[in-house]
Amino acid sequence: MSELTNKIRELVRSFLKQKKVELVIGFEQGTMPMRSTPCFVRKEEEVDRLMWDSFCENNLATYLVKRRERVAIVAKGCDVRAAVELIKEKQILREQVVIIGIPCQGMVDRKKVQAELGGKEILEVEENDGGLIIKGDDFKEVLNRDEFLYPSCKTCIHRNPVIYDVLVGDAVIELSADSYIDVEKFEAQSTEERWEYLSKEFGDCIRCYACRNACPLCYCQECFVDCSRPQWIGKTTDVSDTAIFHIMRAFHLAGRCVECGACERACPMEVDIRKLNRKLSKDIKDLFDYQAGISLEQVTPLATFKPDDNEEFILNP
Amino acid sequence: MKNPYLPLLMRTEKVVVETDDRDIKTFSLSFVKKEDEGNFNYIPGQFAELSFFGKGEAPFGMASSPTQLGCLEFTVSKIGVVTTALHNMEAGEIVGLRGPLGNGYPLEALKGKNIVMIGGGFGFSTLRALTNFVLDEANRSRFGDISVIYGARRPGLLLYKDDFEKWGKRADLHLYLTVDSGDEEWVGRVGLVPQIIKEVAPSSENAYALVCGPPAMIKFTLPVIKELGFPPEKTLLSLEMKMKCGVGMCGRCNIGSKYVCRDGPVFSYAEILDLVSDEY
Amino acid sequence: MKAKIIKKKDIASLLDSLIKEYEVFAPAKRDGLVLFERISSAAESSLDYINSKISPKQLLFPQTETLFSYSSTRDSTEIKAPSGEEKPQLIFGIRPCDARSLTLLDKVFDGECKDPYYVSRRANTVVVSIGCARPQTTCFCTSVGGGPFSTEGSDLLLIDVGDEYIVQIVSDKGERLLKERGFEDAGEDKVALTAIVIKKAEASIGPGVEADGLKEKLDKRFDDPIWQKLTEKCIGCGVCTYLCPTCHCFDIVDEAVGLDGLRIRTWDSCQFAMFTLQASGLNPRPTVKERFRQRIMHKFSYMVDDHDQIGCVGCGRCITECPVNLDIRQVLNNLLQLEGVK
Repeated sequence: MSELTNKIRELVRSFLKQKKVELVIGFEQGTMPMRSTPCFVRKEEEVDRLMWDSFCENNLATYLVKRRERVAIVAKGCDVRAAVELIKEKQILREQVVIIGIPCQGMVDRKKVQAELGGKEILEVEENDGGLIIKGDDFKEVLNRDEFLYPSCKTCIHRNPVIYDVLVGDAVIELSADSYIDVEKFEAQSTEERWEYLSKEFGDCIRCYACRNACPLCYCQECFVDCSRPQWIGKTTDVSDTAIFHIMRAFHLAGRCVECGACERACPMEVDIRKLNRKLSKDIKDLFDYQAGISLEQVTPLATFKPDDNEEFILNP
Repeated sequence: MKNPYLPLLMRTEKVVVETDDRDIKTFSLSFVKKEDEGNFNYIPGQFAELSFFGKGEAPFGMASSPTQLGCLEFTVSKIGVVTTALHNMEAGEIVGLRGPLGNGYPLEALKGKNIVMIGGGFGFSTLRALTNFVLDEANRSRFGDISVIYGARRPGLLLYKDDFEKWGKRADLHLYLTVDSGDEEWVGRVGLVPQIIKEVAPSSENAYALVCGPPAMIKFTLPVIKELGFPPEKTLLSLEMKMKCGVGMCGRCNIGSKYVCRDGPVFSYAEILDLVSDEY
Repeated sequence: MKAKIIKKKDIASLLDSLIKEYEVFAPAKRDGLVLFERISSAAESSLDYINSKISPKQLLFPQTETLFSYSSTRDSTEIKAPSGEEKPQLIFGIRPCDARSLTLLDKVFDGECKDPYYVSRRANTVVVSIGCARPQTTCFCTSVGGGPFSTEGSDLLLIDVGDEYIVQIVSDKGERLLKERGFEDAGEDKVALTAIVIKKAEASIGPGVEADGLKEKLDKRFDDPIWQKLTEKCIGCGVCTYLCPTCHCFDIVDEAVGLDGLRIRTWDSCQFAMFTLQASGLNPRPTVKERFRQRIMHKFSYMVDDHDQIGCVGCGRCITECPVNLDIRQVLNNLLQLEGVK
């Protein structure tokens, strides 16, 4: 990983020197183990803050929305997919963004690592050849990195950036396809079972909107939850209001969600937020043979109309 | 323990449409329970939270003087959920009221002083309450010269036409009405409020300037007042912020460490300069 | 120190007996999280924990609370406030930082103007805290006037000395709780043990923030352009405020079905874009910079003005849970290091 870090820094340094961009968005070391944090670089003397590791979990594309300046973004597979959608939705111009693409081996789920360590405080984490060396006050453990990836990384089939201006690092092997087995299993359950699961999850939601704000495709100036005329949902944590929030947000993202997982990573209550998004992604794939974030040329299916569009879901819901 | 969140019940007695675009109305409310009236003691400058049950609450300055018994008046501009619901009300309907809230005008400090009231557009409600309070027989002698400078964008948008007519006839008050732009019938002054202040040039000796109005008007009025010699300590403003609880607990309406609902809404310009920079 | 001894093996039976008299809230595991839940038996509690995900302030200041119900006809309305009968409540196993936050919430809700919902609940609550022998690296309670064994806000403080707890009696409420339960008084030798534990824990807490002169420096730095840089990565969610033990902003909403309905108080966050948005469209805090600055200034300056107390207890939840790792300690230290700030 440190080789990647050096390459990124070299590149960014040259971009700034050549005045190719005014701003570079990347990651720098966070203030705790297993945290890397978004970093905004504008001057050459700031370049050495940039780094790359298995904890660069935020989706940086969210910081591209409505920017005026030329910006470079250090983007992994899912960040690039989100950028593709944002460009298609005209939230930023393609010419404005210099994509420094990073083929991604998945990001490590720090909460899963913490759970594995049984809540003992982790003081230091080092990465070494596919292994995570975890150190605390009175312990040292080595974990296999690949066993601790985020759920969204485990189903990701575009770890390599689908578009880029520069590629840093070697291409990684992609998973063959997303089988959506998890969605099929959920679909196979009865309505009661599914509602029991969902209402339990939504019951934990505290309406902090971290999921919405972390999502790069949620960029509405006035979100429907904040609209007062008309008021669509209540502001309390009543489970029916919370359910509507998540369901409607998922629908607003249908065909646009790139399944980066930023939403569920941001959630402090560990709500299974992506469940609905996964189901809608599968539906979009089945109905329109479309996957979000793959190509700048493909039009988002719910943003356009074709006479031969599948109408099954209207006629036979 | 008094519950600061429980509203009193008020009946809508009268609705007066103030402006020709019908966007501003003045409501006269009476207390449903007579004993509530006796317990409701306020001074001009204070406000109350009016509830439209089912839609919510919003803060409004008391537009009538406490010397006017039997009812409370509130001037409401139709702009959002609660104000629209209030505007759709007819006489007889019930609303909720929580108050009096806020600090009100510093009557003790104003005693014996000349008072220059400057208002623009919609922002005149509490100054109207103060003017009627000061003009009341029981109070008039305690205050000095009273001048009122008030302007609206055009004649159809002037509020409180009845009051201005009455005040215009009084010898113990100087009234200067103006509009930004007149119409065929308007024979009064034409000019922006700051401009009129310059022309009228009220004396700052032993005087307070009380300013209430939209941010743009205040921005241009303050330098004129300063020039006339009114010190920041004797320039009073009534501020507005989004409010909810009205009692300094919900954390929403603060500017620096002052809550507009609890420590205001009346602040001297000196206090405001002290509080914060240009930003909130 | 007035104290009793309770053996760890006796805690379960104590809790079970307390459950008969009080609604007992203790840290409990739910869906992989540790939260303060109402327990119906000691077995449901999980006292071997670091801290709860959300602060237990919700037990005194719930996220959603009905202020009153109303019922209308065309020309009359009836308002009904909740009965106000609160069952005695016991919060068991709260951390000293969270207990200390109650002293600040007391100043907000029980000051010149009183919030009867909070006040009656608070009067009916006994607070039994467990001190922190193992502070985390994200804890900074000592920087802001607290400590891993602070008694502020507690009625009883449990100090772990191995097989037993030395229970410091902080208030009359606490004393009454232990009365006639047969617990031994702690002698001087036992109390001396606690001093060692406390000293060790206090020493292990990291540097945190330099609070000396912090308020004055922040006041001077209000307009500094550095705020823009410091807040650039903030995504404007409400995680920090909702998990925070001292945050108390709320919204008041009406929920109606026809002519009847409820007026409800619900948590709100100064970090949300529409928090200060006025109906006219004017928003005094239009961007993340103003809103984040408001949070910092409120906690470290305005609350000091209003309540003589820093509005932060150093629990570290905002640090560990922020989705983008915007660290409050880093923000404050950056502000303090600015040149020209004396």
